[in-house]
Amino acid sequence: METLHRASSSCWHPSSSSYSSLPESRNGHMRFGLGLVKVSSISKRTSQRISSRQVRTNPNSNVVRMQDGAVATKIAPIEGEISPMKRLKDGISPTTSSQEGNDLASFDVKKDESTVSITVVGASGDLAKKKIFPALFALYYEDCLPKHFTIYGYARSKMTDEELRNMVSKTLTCRIDKRENCSEKMEEFLKRCFYQSGQYDSKEGFTELDKKLREHEGGRIANRLFYLSIPPNIFIDAVRCASLSASSANGWTRVIVEKPFGRDSESSATLTRGLKQYLKEDQIFRIDHYLGKELVENLSVLRFSNLIFEPLWSRQYIRNVQLIFSEDFGTEGRGGYFDNYGIIRDIMQNHLIQILALFAMETPVSLDAEDIRNEKVKVLRSMRPLRLDDVVVGQYKSHTRGGVTYPGYTDDKTVPKDSLTPTFAAAALFIDNARWDGVPFLMKAGKALHNRRAEIRVQFRHVPGNLYNRNFGTDLDQATNELVIRVQPDEAIYLKINNKVPGLGMRLDRSTLNLHYAARYSKEIPDAYERLLLDAIEGERRLFIRSDELDAAWALFTPLLKELEKKKVIPEYYPYGSRGPVGAHYLAARYNVRWGDLGLEQ
Amino acid sequence: MAKDGFDVDVPEGPVVTKDAEPEVGHQFFYFSEPTEEETTLSITVVGASGDLARKKIFPALFALFYEGYLPENFTVFGYARTKMNDEELQNMISQTLTCRIDKRENCDDKMKEFLQRCFYHSGQYNSENDFAELDLKLREKEGGRVPNRLFYLSIPPNIFVDVVRCASRRASSEKGWTRVIVEKPFGRDSESSRELTRSLKQYLAEDQIFRIDHYLGKELVENLSVLRFSNLVFEPLWSRNYIQNVQFIFSEDIGTEGRGGYFDHYGIIRDIMQNHLLQILALFAMETPVSLDAEDIRNEKVKVLRSVRPFQLEDIVVGQYKGHSKGGKSYPGYTDDPTVPKNSLTPTFAAAALFIDNARWDGVPFLMKTGKALYTKRAEIRVQFRHVPGNLFRGNIGYDLDRTTNELVIRVQPDEAIFLKINNKVPGLGMRLDRSDLNLLYKARYPIEIPDAYERLLLDAIEGERRLFIRSDELDAAWALFTPLLKELEENKIAPELYPYGSRGPVGAHYLAAKHGVRWGDLIDEYL
Repeated sequence: METLHRASSSCWHPSSSSYSSLPESRNGHMRFGLGLVKVSSISKRTSQRISSRQVRTNPNSNVVRMQDGAVATKIAPIEGEISPMKRLKDGISPTTSSQEGNDLASFDVKKDESTVSITVVGASGDLAKKKIFPALFALYYEDCLPKHFTIYGYARSKMTDEELRNMVSKTLTCRIDKRENCSEKMEEFLKRCFYQSGQYDSKEGFTELDKKLREHEGGRIANRLFYLSIPPNIFIDAVRCASLSASSANGWTRVIVEKPFGRDSESSATLTRGLKQYLKEDQIFRIDHYLGKELVENLSVLRFSNLIFEPLWSRQYIRNVQLIFSEDFGTEGRGGYFDNYGIIRDIMQNHLIQILALFAMETPVSLDAEDIRNEKVKVLRSMRPLRLDDVVVGQYKSHTRGGVTYPGYTDDKTVPKDSLTPTFAAAALFIDNARWDGVPFLMKAGKALHNRRAEIRVQFRHVPGNLYNRNFGTDLDQATNELVIRVQPDEAIYLKINNKVPGLGMRLDRSTLNLHYAARYSKEIPDAYERLLLDAIEGERRLFIRSDELDAAWALFTPLLKELEKKKVIPEYYPYGSRGPVGAHYLAARYNVRWGDLGLEQ
Repeated sequence: MAKDGFDVDVPEGPVVTKDAEPEVGHQFFYFSEPTEEETTLSITVVGASGDLARKKIFPALFALFYEGYLPENFTVFGYARTKMNDEELQNMISQTLTCRIDKRENCDDKMKEFLQRCFYHSGQYNSENDFAELDLKLREKEGGRVPNRLFYLSIPPNIFVDVVRCASRRASSEKGWTRVIVEKPFGRDSESSRELTRSLKQYLAEDQIFRIDHYLGKELVENLSVLRFSNLVFEPLWSRNYIQNVQFIFSEDIGTEGRGGYFDHYGIIRDIMQNHLLQILALFAMETPVSLDAEDIRNEKVKVLRSVRPFQLEDIVVGQYKGHSKGGKSYPGYTDDPTVPKNSLTPTFAAAALFIDNARWDGVPFLMKTGKALYTKRAEIRVQFRHVPGNLFRGNIGYDLDRTTNELVIRVQPDEAIFLKINNKVPGLGMRLDRSDLNLLYKARYPIEIPDAYERLLLDAIEGERRLFIRSDELDAAWALFTPLLKELEENKIAPELYPYGSRGPVGAHYLAAKHGVRWGDLIDEYL
């Protein structure tokens, strides 16, 4: 397999400037450090070239990055790619860019040597329509896709290319900050979209697809990405057929798999084993779209590029950490899939535990995917498996408010009337390592709650021997510092601090030092799927879940899940649109924690 | 206690404003519930016709009255040489009174009530008889209650001692307390300062002397201790382990503007650095005090001052502004001021590097910079942190790690704000870092008007709260630091580096910073 490189670089704008002090530096003014360097004379293309770089990081590779979005390769396929993150880092390092830019500018342009084909298996499904095609279009619009690419939809429905395009075009939108040429771009994009109908377990269908893909690839080095947007029970079939009949002969073949990755340790292991019959570990891209969220990406930047957080990040200063995820709607007639899994598997075992691992891991050796994932696995393996009394489960019931009646979970026609599946769960987890011993990590996830929110809250300890104790009253823990990273809605980071209320006298107040993304960054934040698709195309595995991570995550939750099901633990009911079952408060209280999201102040 | 009446959110009683004299304080603080012995307060502004009195002291007193902080029984007396009657004084005062913008109701009524409590007595500053007459008038107003008397000396330093002598001999309170507020300058050097202190102490006890440094009354300077000591997140950071350097910056955008006579005798180092900036430095760098009591805090501040390494001449850069024409307008140089000698070498700008040789701060440069006639009016504290060791994102940051460090900025004026610069990922695909800030802009969060420093300090003096006033030993220690340097500057007739009116000051300041591996934070981020 050879590497495909980040082909064009407007997605890195301004690609060669890694460090800016002002948002407007995107537009042709590159700021290195804090000094302003105007490079308006350098065209966008030049800067694209500057960012495209392979030569330096991997001198042994015969892969050459070309200008203008073309991924040019003098290919002899190589196993084991150079770390993309390394490339990424160097790629945007201002220290190397100018020199590299010169180097690269002198290369001959060898065009059209490789191509990428993206096949969306399950193209007529909801996820494909709402997320995958729009994300692909956004990447195309931002010039992040290679010059040569083909998109195939694959599903059982009979459809023509035209019909697929029609379907896709309905959900495409342009990023709000760049609307120029949107319709032209859409047309161009749709011209690259094709459809192949076939059964998911039919080698013939995939052979047919392979033939068509070859046609479009036209003899170039063919890289193929399959996005499995299909139910889990047909994962293996599709992988088998795709791998046997539609693998790339001379490029790489990668498969993106969506959750659920099994229901427990055993079924997950079976699935992994099944996948590995046909794919190698480095071909499997298990997507957790939460890891593609902007502020989750930023978590590592915050932690590791700001000295001020360094001494704070341990049991010595942190009292507890809260990972909160809530949705303000229920299953709404689509509970069939959910009922088989429940909120713990659907949100906690993957999204929240992944964020927890990123939050709590030791500093990795580098930003390379393997280094980061090694550290994450260590965290997961240091955790105590959950016990039944560390968890509170809930299920929403119907509720009437202002004349509108909201249905309960079991009112959903697709859900069995006697379902005990939790739609809410709160859990306390502990990491038994030197850094986190004794610090409760609280998680809370639920459907049909009073708001939609995803955030990380870090509550610090109280100031020992606080001189201002008497101003705070009896409960010192209520006036501690708190760092909040709000992933959605309205991305923001804020640090709650104690402050003197201006005026005569000494009255303290908890105010915030904050960074509100919408105010600071006027640009629309890309959807998580864009980032993840791009990473998969580039072979960047940092945000995908490795098999051993998945195993470790299941090992934590499986005993609990089995016990819940075996004992038929009845969930605590909570009204649709409420703050969830009060049991969550008692769970928190047991560990001396107060949920930060339900306090008086937000 | 009036101050704590403000503490609506705090269930517990008085905290910070502990009075050192409980026997007096107790009666006074519950003035609204008459006890056996009612007290009254008389505030005498000595030098009542001066600028400071009119612009700051009377308006501050009125604001305190308006906000209900003054005791029920109080009298304000103006004392000066000018012949004036009560009516004329009231007229003069009324011209500068304003109501706080956030509460304008009944302003006129309140003003009238306030002015009715203002009286005038004319007399010489060195005449005991005149002060005896004042005493008679005060007694009359005090009407047999326990009188507490506060004298605010808003007069030139050469007559401080005379006034203190007369006031203390002839107009001290017999049963209540007598306190004297003194404004800078407190001498020109160690010797003259000590001489002044000795003279004052002939007539006053240490706890009667309130040396005012109005910078310590600024809201954000008050907040500095709150930030440091009530937020755990700052605790581990506050030392040489994490802080690379600290900068204290104070700039004015005006020159002496025809009033350079006083200034020329002192210069910017004595006028700003030796007091305001050094005091803030001491507050910033002190160890955690045992309590918030004035004596505990001042003990810690003295320790800092005594640990500061004495200055060397090469640790300082001095400057003087020269005339400059901009946009057809011409701004006069310092020596163009008719009240300033043509050959004056008095610095109007100074930058200095200080080191505190203690365990917490060894090796951390504390930079100070202050000047007149600069491009902006600004007062701020900047704390620059060290770079992240072994930064994983080094490749994204570039070669100069020190340029992307965290920085905590406490802006005292204009637009009070606190912000913490952090490195952050620019949203979007890819990994681009950006230095943005976590910020708290006071205007946005607290829409009320922030009280003037003089209000706070007057109230503190009335309540006997000494935390923000300078104790004699603090003053000694501060002078001990600067005196050798000042003498050397004067003996060697060091010529200041000239800089144009309205500029960023002499470039020498940058070289001074560079010598200690520091970059001035205020000249980098113009947008903040």
